[in-house]
Amino acid sequence: MTNPNLLDSTLTMILAGGQGERLYPLTREVAKPAVPFGGIYRIIDFTLSNCINSNLRKIYVLTQYKSSSLDRHLRRGWSFLHPELGEYIYTIPPQQQVADLWYRGTADAIYQNIYTLEQEKPERVLILSGDHIYKMDYSRMIDSHVQSGADLPVACVEVPLAQASHLGVMAVDESSRITGFQEKPESPAPVPGNPDVALASMGIYVFSTSTLVRTVSEEARRSQTRHDFGLNIIPRLVDSGKVFAYNLKDTNRNTTLYWRDIGRLGTYWEANMDLLEKHPEFDLYDESWPIRTFQVQRPPARVRVENAQSVRAIISNGCDIDDARVHHSILSPGVTVQPDASVTDSILMEGVDVGAGAVVRKAIVDHDVVIPPNSRIGVDAREDGQRFTITPEGIVVVPSGIQLDGA
Amino acid sequence: MKRILIADDDKNLAELYQQELTDDGYQVEVVHDAREAIRRVESELPDLLILDIRMPGMDGIEALNHILGKNNRLPVILNTAYSNYKDNFMTWSANAYVVKSSDLTELKTTIQDVLERRESDV
Repeated sequence: MTNPNLLDSTLTMILAGGQGERLYPLTREVAKPAVPFGGIYRIIDFTLSNCINSNLRKIYVLTQYKSSSLDRHLRRGWSFLHPELGEYIYTIPPQQQVADLWYRGTADAIYQNIYTLEQEKPERVLILSGDHIYKMDYSRMIDSHVQSGADLPVACVEVPLAQASHLGVMAVDESSRITGFQEKPESPAPVPGNPDVALASMGIYVFSTSTLVRTVSEEARRSQTRHDFGLNIIPRLVDSGKVFAYNLKDTNRNTTLYWRDIGRLGTYWEANMDLLEKHPEFDLYDESWPIRTFQVQRPPARVRVENAQSVRAIISNGCDIDDARVHHSILSPGVTVQPDASVTDSILMEGVDVGAGAVVRKAIVDHDVVIPPNSRIGVDAREDGQRFTITPEGIVVVPSGIQLDGA
Repeated sequence: MKRILIADDDKNLAELYQQELTDDGYQVEVVHDAREAIRRVESELPDLLILDIRMPGMDGIEALNHILGKNNRLPVILNTAYSNYKDNFMTWSANAYVVKSSDLTELKTTIQDVLERRESDV
């Protein structure tokens, strides 16, 4: 077990300011980390749960765009630590304390919060993103940083080459030293000895505080930079020869662990659907790794269906399915599905009402949308294309606030 | 001719700097508080700022942040009688930190270094 002092002297900063433009319209009202996931969760719950499960209890969440919903969620669901004992989860919006600017990038977000680091003076800082789905014990990575004498570990995960072109890809030598970096490469470099996979950066770093402050302060003085850890800081530090890949693997089975960057609507839908596998790689029901969230009190889900055939679904509290067919779908709390309706391969957010006889296929329906009786979503691509966003994978996205006419 | 702005509430010291640096061929302006330094940096675009830390009202550290927020390319040398601010992370974005001394050699060499590095960056 990791020395508790190591974790106590580590400050965690979660970058939760991304606009999430590629998740639009789900991010029309909320920041990406606050987008619902897996029925009852918000995307940031997974990173925060990892922190708590890793025993990291000094956490700042750096927010920026559309942060009120995220902020409310954190206050309602994540205010259980005790600041008087030196443990906390605090959100920090841009304060313009250092500069009269919004955060210009991830590195600038840290730079603009140097005052916080100055007050806390932690020995090291763990930097995380608030928009990834995975389980990870960060304490092992922190251990490796300390034992190596403060090298800079970058958490990486092996991904199939085809997926790597959406991600930041690391080139490494045999000793895991990072020798190069490509952002969203057209032809990603494979891992030595394994031509089918590339090593993707998870956007997770452990810095000694002095290195971090020095680096982001220098970056703030540069022009022609995007002030980004992945794009600017890490490539610059790679030349120092002190940047190493920390490969997130299941060390018992030597297999790659589940990690998804929820960057696009397609990956968002797929990652949700992954939860519905018979034996999901990413299991919400794993008692050794509890995932916390905030939930409103609601009655238990009610399913009034006779002779149901092959139901595979996550059905949250307060849902009411009345003699309808729900298959391979995720229902957030308070969803109602009226008689003879059919919902397949879909994600229905909180409070959605599916009218009697309506058909919903391969769709993401945002909160509180009322789907009129007998209407069809995900059936006729041409009709849907006139009203909704359709992803390249053919997923129909119905935004919140829309008024749908009856069929 | 390179233009240097000095911000220091110690008027005698600022005058001494002004004389010495003018003799060395710089064009030197002096202000005595941080807010005035921020205004002058914006209006006069000096090539270098020598900034005291402990001043009445706004201190040099807070001023440094405002100044770099407006012009992140301006070279700044923090110049203070105290060495303990070196540990303050907020001072690390300055180009140099020189502790005040009756011997101006270190300050002058640092001015040269910082200006030369600025030239080679451009």
